[in-house]
Amino acid sequence: MTARRAACAILLLLTTVLTGCGSSPEPTGNPSSFAPPRPIGMQDPAVIPSGGPAQSTNCNPLASLRPAGDLPQPGAMPAGSTMAAILGRGRLIVGVNQNTFLFGYRDATSGEIVGFDVDIAKEIASAIFGDWRGRIQLVSTTSAQRIPYVQQGKVDLVANTMTINCARWQQVNFSTQYYEAGQKVLVPRTSSARGIDDLGGKRVCAASGSTSIQNIANAKSKPVPVAVSDWTDCLVLLQQGQVDAVSTDDTILAGLAAQDPTTHVVGQAFTSEPYGLAMSQSAPDLVRFVNGVLERVRADGTWATIYRRWLGNTAVPAPPPARYRD
Amino acid sequence: MALLTTARLRPRLAVDAGAVRDKLAARANSTPGRLTVLVVVLGLLAVLAGISAVVGAAQRSHLVDSVATHSGPLAVQAQQLYRSLSDADATAAAAFLSSGAEPPELRQRYQSDIAAAGAALAAAGATGDRDKGPLAEIANSLPVYTGLVESARSYNRLNLPVGAAYLREASGVMRERLLPAARQLYQVETDNLADDRSSAAQFPWLTVPLILLTLPGLVVAQLYLTRRTRRLLNLGLATATAAGLVLLLWVGLSWLAVASHLGASDRNGSAQVQLVAQARIAALQARADEALTLVARGSGGAFADDFVAQMAALAGSDGNGGFLADARGRATDPAVRDALADATAAVASWRQVHDRLKGLDDGGQYPEAVKLAVGTDDGSTATVFNRVDERLAAAIATANKTFGERADRAGGALTGAGFGWTVLTLVLVAGVIVGLQQRIAEYR
Repeated sequence: MTARRAACAILLLLTTVLTGCGSSPEPTGNPSSFAPPRPIGMQDPAVIPSGGPAQSTNCNPLASLRPAGDLPQPGAMPAGSTMAAILGRGRLIVGVNQNTFLFGYRDATSGEIVGFDVDIAKEIASAIFGDWRGRIQLVSTTSAQRIPYVQQGKVDLVANTMTINCARWQQVNFSTQYYEAGQKVLVPRTSSARGIDDLGGKRVCAASGSTSIQNIANAKSKPVPVAVSDWTDCLVLLQQGQVDAVSTDDTILAGLAAQDPTTHVVGQAFTSEPYGLAMSQSAPDLVRFVNGVLERVRADGTWATIYRRWLGNTAVPAPPPARYRD
Repeated sequence: MALLTTARLRPRLAVDAGAVRDKLAARANSTPGRLTVLVVVLGLLAVLAGISAVVGAAQRSHLVDSVATHSGPLAVQAQQLYRSLSDADATAAAAFLSSGAEPPELRQRYQSDIAAAGAALAAAGATGDRDKGPLAEIANSLPVYTGLVESARSYNRLNLPVGAAYLREASGVMRERLLPAARQLYQVETDNLADDRSSAAQFPWLTVPLILLTLPGLVVAQLYLTRRTRRLLNLGLATATAAGLVLLLWVGLSWLAVASHLGASDRNGSAQVQLVAQARIAALQARADEALTLVARGSGGAFADDFVAQMAALAGSDGNGGFLADARGRATDPAVRDALADATAAVASWRQVHDRLKGLDDGGQYPEAVKLAVGTDDGSTATVFNRVDERLAAAIATANKTFGERADRAGGALTGAGFGWTVLTLVLVAGVIVGLQQRIAEYR
């Protein structure tokens, strides 16, 4: 660690010296005013849509639609159902993330998108077709694209670290909860911050259109929210010293920390982020079907297998329980 | 006191000035006086005409030289810079699409692009007389861009998704800073070339009227002498008149030659280079858009839209318009026309393959779409795009060669002008002085 820190210091010194020498004898502008590179779509400070998740609490967000009896056999979906249409089309179209390490990311070696969310989506495809291989089309979605893509029918469902809340229930339908996350903070190991409360006035990054960016904006310590398209953009900004911290679900932060050992996740979770699969409000039959698949995934050990594959084989927790409206 | 002095001095001064004026007028009214005035006026006119011709020749020669060796090559360098940067953007995106370690040929191409951009930047920066704004932007942002691309590569090799974020940031630097600055620099250099060319081809507005004043003056002097001396021909004046006529012809013809060669260097050279270069850069950006659409994998609607826009700019929405048709319509060299026809055909098949690729991607066959985009077999968009790029490069090279030849010939039209025009001027002036001095001497 000391060696790495020393290397960082030398690099920093070199950068300073190099940029110092970069000015021409006849300067055309102030070299120090040169703006750092920014990810495309960065908002600094972030534009926070009015009406955060806290604003509509007049529902039980975790209660979804109960499965309609036993699951139909794969390849034999009820006639006229949304699942039958998907079966007829020959593939399930799923909105996933390709930049969230461990949950949904592009494996650079194979070029495939893999992760916890993708494996859950593959279970749904297998329940419809018998085998997911060649039957699933993964569409990359940023956090902000998740709800529009479902509403416009560009995807059958979204499996992209999506928090279930009442505000979103107004726009899409959710499955039962398949993962329980909580918002924490990622900082460089050199930082003295131990949680969101220590970040007052500091620049804190999250993806635009996420619940995290709203939680940062609503935090009592008043950090400055900085929004980007993808979670990895936050890590880039942190590595370049353009933000002081990244704050979002512990799952996503763990994926970022795994990519840069000079950072770590600190503090207790200060929110609860239940993940669900989002589907169109016009397809309640698909929601009931998906909830039926999730029942099986929880019960037969598939959930534990997926957890172990992506999130480590230490103590596997019990999957979050299903709750229904009736 | 001061007023008094001035008042007292004034009458004497007025008397003196009046006396001098009368004396001069008296002399000027005499024949030798008139002849002296003629010598002075004609000599002055001839000297002025000669000086303006010789100085004009030097200036014109400098401007023609500047077109051939300075602003012309600089415009080519700026275009090279713009192209290299666009190519680097497209190549980096395509390399990212290839699974695992990037293919060595793409790595090689990216490195050549950066090296070419660096060389072009150095060449453009070596001249002290140009607008440095876009140059400073490129010089500042290019190392930032390459640094980000290298970070992206390292993380990709470690199979970490933050690599893609670095690539996106790099692409942002390229599209928001480098390419606009390169486009601006190219515009500045192209304008400079046009300015140099029109200055170099300007009509000699000072020299020709001066000679045209001198020649009738010589004729008038000759007539006056003939009338006074009953001699039909003054040898000195006749020689001066001949020298003046030769000078007028030479100045006029050399201007015509320079202007016509420079016009041809533009028409058959740089104007075509400019059109084809625009086509080539549109093709490169369409290629980058194609790759970035696949990289974004469903969230890259902006890239897909830009692909359509670039393709329309390149070849028109029906494949028979855009920069390519424009350039073909103005092509004067059959080699350029053939290259452009090949490129147009290649763009048509690129469109077909791209539609198939889009169908595969929309239909969920993403790996097949990627293979069609970056594969090395004959049918891939990579191969078809390379054919487009190659043919456009060939057209640019041919047109650039024409430009260089014509600019050189424009310079050749001024060969010996400085020396020759000096000699002619000396002959002219000597003819005037000798021819008239003999007559003046007869009156002493």
